[in-house]
Amino acid sequence: MKVKVISRSTDEFTRERSQDLQKVFRNYDPNIRSQERAVEYTRALKAAKLEKIFARPFIGAMDGHIDAVSCMAKNPNHLNGIFSGSVDGDIRLWSLTSRKTVCHFPGHQGNVRGLSVSTDGETLVSCGTDSTVRLWTVPDYRNKSAGESAGNAVAPIAVYVWKHAFWDVDHQWGQNIFATVGAQVDIWDHDRSEPVNTFKWGNDTFISVRFNPGEPDLFATTSSDRSIILYDLRMSSPARKLIMKTRCNSLSWNPMEPMNFTAANEDTNCYSYDARKMDEPKCVHADHVSAVMDIDYSPTGREFVTGSYDRTVRIFNYNGDHSKEIYHTKRMQRVFCVKYTCDGSYVISGSDDTNLRLWKAKASEQLGILLPRERRKQEYLDAVKDRYKHLPEVRRIVRHRHLPKPIYKAANLRRTMIGAERKKDQRRRAHSAPGSMPVQPFRKRRIIKEEE
Amino acid sequence: MEKKNKMEKHWRMKAHRVSKPPNFRKSDTKKKKKSLKETKDGRREKSGPHLPSSFLKEIGIQKPISNSSDQDEGDDESDESDDLYEYVEKLPEEERKENRRFDQVENYDYELPEEFEDEDVPSDEEDDGEDDEEEKGDDAEKHARMLQSITGLPAKAFEDKPRKDAVLSDVHGDFGQEKISINDLLDPLHGKAGYSKLRKRLHQLEKAPMAIQAPLPKVEKEKLERKVAYEQSKKDITKWEPLVKRNREAPTLFFGEKINLGVNTVGAIAAGHEPRTEFEKKMAELIGVPEITEAQKNDGFKILELNKVSIEDVRDRQNYLAKMRSLLFRHEMKAKHIKNIKSKTYHRILKKQRQKTASSEINVDPEEAKELAIKQEFKRAEERMTLKHKNSSKWAKRILKRGLKAQDDGTRTAIADQLHQHALLTRKMNSMNENSSSDESTNDDSDYLSPGSDNEGVSKILNKAKNKTIKAMEDEDEIPKSGVFSLPFMERGLKKQKEAAFEEARLALQEYELSLGKLGEDDETGPSTEIKTGRRVFGGVKLLPVRPNTNHNRSDSEGDFEIREEDDLPKVEIVQQDVHIRSALVPDDDIETGQGTIYKEFGDIVKNPGSKTTYDVAIFASDSWRKCKQMGDKNPSENVKAVDDNIATSSRDSVGDEYNSDSESELEMVDGFLSSDPKSDDYKLPSQDDLIRRAFAGDDVEMEFKKEKMDVLNEENPEPEKPVLLPGWGQWTHIQRKKGIPSVITEEHERAKRKRDEALKKRKDAHLKHVIISEKIDKKAEKLHANTLPFPYTSKDVYEQSIRMPIGPDYNPAISIGALNRPAVVKRTGVIIKPIKYEDVDPHGKYEESKETKNTQKPKKNKHAESKKSNKSIQKPMAKKAKLAGGKVFSK
Repeated sequence: MKVKVISRSTDEFTRERSQDLQKVFRNYDPNIRSQERAVEYTRALKAAKLEKIFARPFIGAMDGHIDAVSCMAKNPNHLNGIFSGSVDGDIRLWSLTSRKTVCHFPGHQGNVRGLSVSTDGETLVSCGTDSTVRLWTVPDYRNKSAGESAGNAVAPIAVYVWKHAFWDVDHQWGQNIFATVGAQVDIWDHDRSEPVNTFKWGNDTFISVRFNPGEPDLFATTSSDRSIILYDLRMSSPARKLIMKTRCNSLSWNPMEPMNFTAANEDTNCYSYDARKMDEPKCVHADHVSAVMDIDYSPTGREFVTGSYDRTVRIFNYNGDHSKEIYHTKRMQRVFCVKYTCDGSYVISGSDDTNLRLWKAKASEQLGILLPRERRKQEYLDAVKDRYKHLPEVRRIVRHRHLPKPIYKAANLRRTMIGAERKKDQRRRAHSAPGSMPVQPFRKRRIIKEEE
Repeated sequence: MEKKNKMEKHWRMKAHRVSKPPNFRKSDTKKKKKSLKETKDGRREKSGPHLPSSFLKEIGIQKPISNSSDQDEGDDESDESDDLYEYVEKLPEEERKENRRFDQVENYDYELPEEFEDEDVPSDEEDDGEDDEEEKGDDAEKHARMLQSITGLPAKAFEDKPRKDAVLSDVHGDFGQEKISINDLLDPLHGKAGYSKLRKRLHQLEKAPMAIQAPLPKVEKEKLERKVAYEQSKKDITKWEPLVKRNREAPTLFFGEKINLGVNTVGAIAAGHEPRTEFEKKMAELIGVPEITEAQKNDGFKILELNKVSIEDVRDRQNYLAKMRSLLFRHEMKAKHIKNIKSKTYHRILKKQRQKTASSEINVDPEEAKELAIKQEFKRAEERMTLKHKNSSKWAKRILKRGLKAQDDGTRTAIADQLHQHALLTRKMNSMNENSSSDESTNDDSDYLSPGSDNEGVSKILNKAKNKTIKAMEDEDEIPKSGVFSLPFMERGLKKQKEAAFEEARLALQEYELSLGKLGEDDETGPSTEIKTGRRVFGGVKLLPVRPNTNHNRSDSEGDFEIREEDDLPKVEIVQQDVHIRSALVPDDDIETGQGTIYKEFGDIVKNPGSKTTYDVAIFASDSWRKCKQMGDKNPSENVKAVDDNIATSSRDSVGDEYNSDSESELEMVDGFLSSDPKSDDYKLPSQDDLIRRAFAGDDVEMEFKKEKMDVLNEENPEPEKPVLLPGWGQWTHIQRKKGIPSVITEEHERAKRKRDEALKKRKDAHLKHVIISEKIDKKAEKLHANTLPFPYTSKDVYEQSIRMPIGPDYNPAISIGALNRPAVVKRTGVIIKPIKYEDVDPHGKYEESKETKNTQKPKKNKHAESKKSNKSIQKPMAKKAKLAGGKVFSK
């Protein structure tokens, strides 16, 4: 009689250390496991559910301002610090880890409209409605605890008074130049008391300015005449103007794709443009129900965060036409500014209720250090979820978000309005001579013209 | 003088510059730049359409003398044509110079003389000279002031020297009052190739009159400037395209990978270790002896390698030896143990077992078998020699002497055993071939017993047996001429034996023939009766194409036959019901039906042979083998019964009552035949239709389709299960059978049937005879399917393909899991991600590698799409989306 015996080589079944995991031998023959897809689907479903369970994005609020937070700036050289300016002229530096004020920058008389930090993280530039530009040295708060320096006040190293109120400021990447906007666009040098260059196109107030981080000589402004204007620092004149139907409150360049930027519009949408082809946006990001106030790209360039007047913060994929995440709390009021942290894992919002709020960029992400096995598991679950995201159950769960009632209703209302508009358009088209009403896609409809 | 004035102005400016903080140097230089530009563009200013008006004005003031000579004008014309062609490109340079960001003073100073030399327009000289002078003046002024500060004398005292310098410096640019015409320049070319052409051209140019265009309006001009600026920046951005494209196509983006986390391995730490204590130092000294290190470097490795190999060998050997030793030891122990066993029964059993194994081993190996055969042969020979078991022992003799009858049972059996043993030993062993043939025959037997064949099977057996006996008889005629058998007494014995055997064989043959004949008779009666029924019974009424099927014939197609059998058998049990069901069959099923009824009737007859059957049929039915087969078949047929009923009843609705009566008549007819009713004698000629149908009876496509449709219907609207007697309570006492199935169940069944009928009527293909429209919806499976084809995929197959391979650790080796599950963006919390930096994209970058690993699960179609759109992919959001949804590439 033949007896089959399990034979195991000692080499494979001996651990070097007692803590080592036993090696698991598997037979990967697909014929043995015929249920693999069903199993993975179930896992995907479970992962989607777990994601929903663990989605707790809100980390904490930073309380301290006595008026609405109007602007923020992140330190490109240091993760822990974030600057915020409020309507009453107060500028604060916060430590994100302790969520406390590290120091103040007193001096502005009115609303601080713009804040920006130089690339080396040494200089802070602020400007406001009091027509002053102030330069501050960022204190070395890295080794200090928050309590130690809480009362610290920093004096500006320079104060430049200029002819008009300022609306925004942004610092060029890598150099000592920053741009302010107000009645006109001024280019400043750290070492000069007066702007080194001035751009003007039209007579309307400029609202925001952003330098292109990838291509530092390029920047764009939005102005109250509903236009987006592109500039090149090397040229003496602006480059291109685009006029939309509603104005853009802010814009942000994609740090990984220097040709692309996204503008936050009053009409609740964001529009992603290619700077080379401004005649139509490449993508319309819709979901907010009120004006989008601020926008900031993740440093990975794969998503961006928007803050809106509808009291929500949303996160979009750089090419997604709908948001993939919505953040809201009961107490958060109109959001005026949002920022992604420089490592792309947190989002900070500043709102009308005088608070800064710290959120996770990925709502269900586990904070802290992950063991390799945990990380691998998470990666697997994400991959499986991604693979089966088209199946109805998984999609439903992944898409589902709880919305505050007002936003839910407003969204419904908006949907009806858009539907009605579309219907009306269709009827008009049906009753007019064929060809007299050419069909125009929505994104093109929102643009009035591109000026040379 | 004007010149002097200007000089002074410059000096003043310079003084200003000196006194001002370095902040303002730029604006100053800018002014200077402007002036430089004026000089440089002196030539261009004449063609004029593009220069700023301010420039023109200034130039107008500075240069009252315009180029009056005709030649110059001609020159201008040629220049102008160039200008018109070039101006778009030249403007941006100008713009750039206006920009104050770049401190390019030195550059200008350096470039100027060269450009100046190139320019052959005399009018520029002045400006340039002035400029030079200015430069000189600067120096002179500085020098003067220095001297002044040193000597204390007034500055005027030193002014002569720089003047001279200025004059001298003019040498290379100054050509006196004479103006150089283009002819002067052409002269040296005289006589060279192409000279005449050039000259002709020049003449043409001179002849054409030329008007200076008015400068563009400011708005237009700015527009042009902006356009140029935009074009420029556009060009700048476009350089990023390949880089961005690469990043977008990369399955995974890595951020913060290159960060240096310092030393983190034990080896690295150990490498940096320095001895501190004395002991450590001593150790280091010993270890660090050059000889040792050298040895380690040179031979050590080799020695180690050798060592390694020998160690392995040794271990292997040791293992082997240990194994052998342990085996030996175990064997020894076992032998000892067995030896120690005193039990006789045990030994006996052991012996028997051994024998058994020996006998079983025969089949295993031919060589062994041969050996064994030899052994056996030897034993046989020995036995025949010694006759050990042929009651030759003392004990046996004694017992025989005393008489077997006087012995007890045990002794008798022992004697018998011994004799048996003898017989076994002396018997001639069968060869292997014989064994196998016997096996075959058994197989055949089993075949005969199989339900597929009955009549024929039996006849086959009989025939075979007959053949065999005949063959054996023939074989036995041959008598061996040599060996032991050739001995006379052996011959005689053999003959006697043979005769006996022959007699036996003859008897057997007779028997076979007899039974065969009987069977043939049966067969003959079978088909004849059936054909008869077919013609006489069905032909008259329904023109049914009855195949002359007999049991015997049909055994060719066994499967078919089996089904028929199953068809008929269930009816044996519940005759009344079945008749009812059968009566409502579809017309196309008629053939079947007819046969079915025949069989059913026959089954019926078999059951109660007494009442109606004729003698022949009774004999046929009562045949023993047939009965046996029926018994065997009953069980499987019952299993299939449900299906059969389904088919039958499903079509019942579409069929009217007419068939009912038909079938009844059939029944009667069968009865009639069986009772030889005269009514069944009438016979009609088959119509054309019927003939055609008969001709194509074999390939009945319509039927097949009908059947298929029926199957689909049954699958999608399953037939409610027929109520049966409930197992359990009351079963033994047959209460249920007596009372019948509970009304609740039957009602429910009725309801279900009605429901099904309605459902069938509502079907889309209810009235379409040749169409099957499947309405199958599997609700459970529905949620495992995407409602629509996900976006980037254009075909279902590609999508399916993309999710075919599992990606989990249970289904993939650990090596590949990382690549399969890697997210689209890999970053670390706490690591600052800098914006993109420009680099020339090489096709074999890091991302390429990772892409390759990911290719397995990435839909290939996407990649093609991407490569096709090489230029546009970046700007097209659709392409982006495609990327996003296309597997792992850009998700989130």
